[in-house]
Amino acid sequence: MSLALFLQALSIGIVNGALYILTALGLTLIYGILHIVNFAHGELYMLGAMLVYLLFVAFEWPLWAAVPVIVLLSVLAGFAVERTIFRRLRGQWLQLLVATVGVSLIVQSVSWIAFGAQEKTVPSVLEGVLLLGTVRIPIERLAAAAIAMLLVALLYLVVYRTRTGLAMRAIEEDEETARMLGVDTDRVAGVSVALGFALAAMGGIFVAPIYSINPGMGLDAILMSFIIIIVGGLGSITGTVLAGFLIGIIQAIGSLALGAEAAHILVFVAMIAMLVFRPQGLMGRVR
Amino acid sequence: MRPVHQSPAPWLLVVLLALPFVASNYWLHVAIVVLMNITYTVALCAVLRMGYLSLGHAGFIALGAYTSVVCSVRFGLSPWFGMVAAAALCGVVAWGLGALTLRLRGIYFSLAVFAFGEIVVAIARAFDWLGGPSGIANVPRPSFFGIKLDTHFSFYWLAMALAVLLVTFFARLEQTRFGATLLTLKTEPGERLAESVGVNTAAHKAACFAMSCAAVGAMGAVHSMYLLFVNPQVFSFLMSTDLVIYAMIGGTTGFWGPVLGAGALTALGEQLFSVGYWKTLVYALILMGVILVVPGGLSAVSALWKREMTPRGGR
Amino acid sequence: MVLPVVSASSPAATAAVMLRVQSVGKRFGGLAALTDVSFDVHEGELVGLVGPNGAGKSTLFNAIAGVFPPSEGRILLEDRDITGLPSHRLARQGLARTFQLVTLFSELSVLDNAVQALHRHRAGRLVSGLLQTRSYREESARWRERAREALALLSLEGLAEQPASSLPLGQAKLLAVAIALATEPRLLLLDEPAAGLSHEESSRMMDLISDRVRGRCSVVLVEHNMRIVRRYCDRAVVLQFGRKIFDGAPAEMVNERAVVDAYLGTGEGA
Repeated sequence: MSLALFLQALSIGIVNGALYILTALGLTLIYGILHIVNFAHGELYMLGAMLVYLLFVAFEWPLWAAVPVIVLLSVLAGFAVERTIFRRLRGQWLQLLVATVGVSLIVQSVSWIAFGAQEKTVPSVLEGVLLLGTVRIPIERLAAAAIAMLLVALLYLVVYRTRTGLAMRAIEEDEETARMLGVDTDRVAGVSVALGFALAAMGGIFVAPIYSINPGMGLDAILMSFIIIIVGGLGSITGTVLAGFLIGIIQAIGSLALGAEAAHILVFVAMIAMLVFRPQGLMGRVR
Repeated sequence: MRPVHQSPAPWLLVVLLALPFVASNYWLHVAIVVLMNITYTVALCAVLRMGYLSLGHAGFIALGAYTSVVCSVRFGLSPWFGMVAAAALCGVVAWGLGALTLRLRGIYFSLAVFAFGEIVVAIARAFDWLGGPSGIANVPRPSFFGIKLDTHFSFYWLAMALAVLLVTFFARLEQTRFGATLLTLKTEPGERLAESVGVNTAAHKAACFAMSCAAVGAMGAVHSMYLLFVNPQVFSFLMSTDLVIYAMIGGTTGFWGPVLGAGALTALGEQLFSVGYWKTLVYALILMGVILVVPGGLSAVSALWKREMTPRGGR
Repeated sequence: MVLPVVSASSPAATAAVMLRVQSVGKRFGGLAALTDVSFDVHEGELVGLVGPNGAGKSTLFNAIAGVFPPSEGRILLEDRDITGLPSHRLARQGLARTFQLVTLFSELSVLDNAVQALHRHRAGRLVSGLLQTRSYREESARWRERAREALALLSLEGLAEQPASSLPLGQAKLLAVAIALATEPRLLLLDEPAAGLSHEESSRMMDLISDRVRGRCSVVLVEHNMRIVRRYCDRAVVLQFGRKIFDGAPAEMVNERAVVDAYLGTGEGA
């Protein structure tokens, strides 16, 4: 592998990583606050992309209208799911896990039925390629990654600088005590899930012009998200960011060396290695 | 502890033995698929009973199927050997994965096994030697004392024999000391207490998971022989979730829970749904209904019913 | 401030040493929970581990019980080094423990709890179990008998068929001790056996334990209840701020200035 190719893979890996981070962050947020692994997360990512196709391409809405609508829908869905399913099954981790699997299956099958198996494409919004020496990065992908990083920064602001964020961190630390101190855990739970859903949907929105869209794309997204949050540490935002980049890079270099499918093996091995040597992940706490 | 009980339904065995003589090829096909799914679900429940949910059991079914096919198609070995090799490989891999993840919180296990399931299929898709996306065809059927099992009638006996063997194995397992110990590992305090009386809980859990996966691996080999081909699409995540659905709807405890859940839903599925997505949708909706209303599944409903019907004052 | 280590002569000091805690220390991050703690437990002794809240009793208890390894020092059981062994290996070495929050196999009956406790004495025999051979069934029946005997030791045999989850606290705590005793330990660690019990209940339990357990194994118990320690323990080891400040007869303990100072203001003891 030449240096030029390696640098190309590295750059694409970083850019891809930025996009993975967005979806994975939603997952880690929901886990950190509610201790629920939201299996339906990948489907939100898929719906984000699919709705961009539906609204922007099929119904010909302008982007500045389509995107906020999709985000709003995901926020509403988050509140709804938290209120009906998560709250009802609170404390029963097995039932919760299976319930999120159930939601994922429902969304997937409805999407297959409604949208059909044919791959959809969303035309590029930004044309052009950025040239850095020998490295070529499509501008669209770079812009998506940049916006994703902006959103991550915004998330940090929310979590570390707002009262709701403080409440989130308190609950993540010790829910019992937080409740005793007057934190409205139900409301914060709703906000967290809504925020998590929105992040997942946005992950899908940004990749809509980049990858082809089909109802099964959520599965790969959830697999990547799981691997990222395990490597980064369940519930840790910083860990997810670091792991996102790491996994993105590993996958890109693996793709170059072994092919796209086989790169999955490398990423899986990275997860196994983390479980062997440091199960709590890069930034996770030993509980 | 319950007294040693006989086979839960000797009449069931009679039905299974009589079936091939009265059923048409279509119903034999349904019966074979039902038997395979029951076996998979019972194996899944063995792991569920010790408090862990496998979201990637199809990965081990795939591993078993592909191992057997590679042995018979690529290496020309006997399908019987392929079946044994499948069980052995699945057992060993499951032991390793289990030893690694079962010492952590349950969610790590579920995610890791899910990831494993996806990776197995990804590997199959990636390499031409494993058939790539289109898989491997012309899988040979085994011969039993010179008779090739290439009709529905003859193959049924193989599927039935293996299913009865494995389901009986797991039912009996519950009555052994090993099985009783596994039950105590369901909760964290129970696990700590078991450790304090000398139980190597990590080894117990890994062994249980290994047994479960060896079983589905063996049946997976039979599955591939039945289909006469393997490809990555058959053993997808949807297969893993199907098994979870059968277990959760039928009930995870006892003998009849998984058997009825898998049996009824598979048979219905074959009859009613030609397109997979509708089946997934309806079953997922039923699953959500069951979880939100009766978390124990349908067998818990019958237990609740019995409790309501018993006259007050106990026995 | 240097805390004096006060020792007095111990009654059973001539018997063989069952447990030797040797310069054990434990640090959690920057916090030193235990520093240079050493004491012996002789065969047949009933030793009480006491100290005000935060003294390190639970940490020491857990270090001996194998929950975590000590940062420094060694722990020897009958001259065998058991430092850092995981709990299931410790059971085989002859060490048994109870838990602060009473822990039972809640989905099993009282008798089945005792049967499970006999785990380390029973051989595997998985295949015979699967085949439900005659000899396996006979053997299982024999184990159930032995489990009944384990229950009878603490007068619990009448509760054999009841679900363990239905027991009131006093009997549940006794069952927990019976489970630990069923493993036939050389050393029994009891974590606050009297906690949550009334005066009569705790006296009754300690009478039973004192009566039935002595002669079978040595005991180390962690207790806040000074009355229990003074009445039932041969020796008391007092900790404060992670160090040992007294090691001797409970009767002399209350006269020691260091011990009184350690407890002043906390409202502990009777």
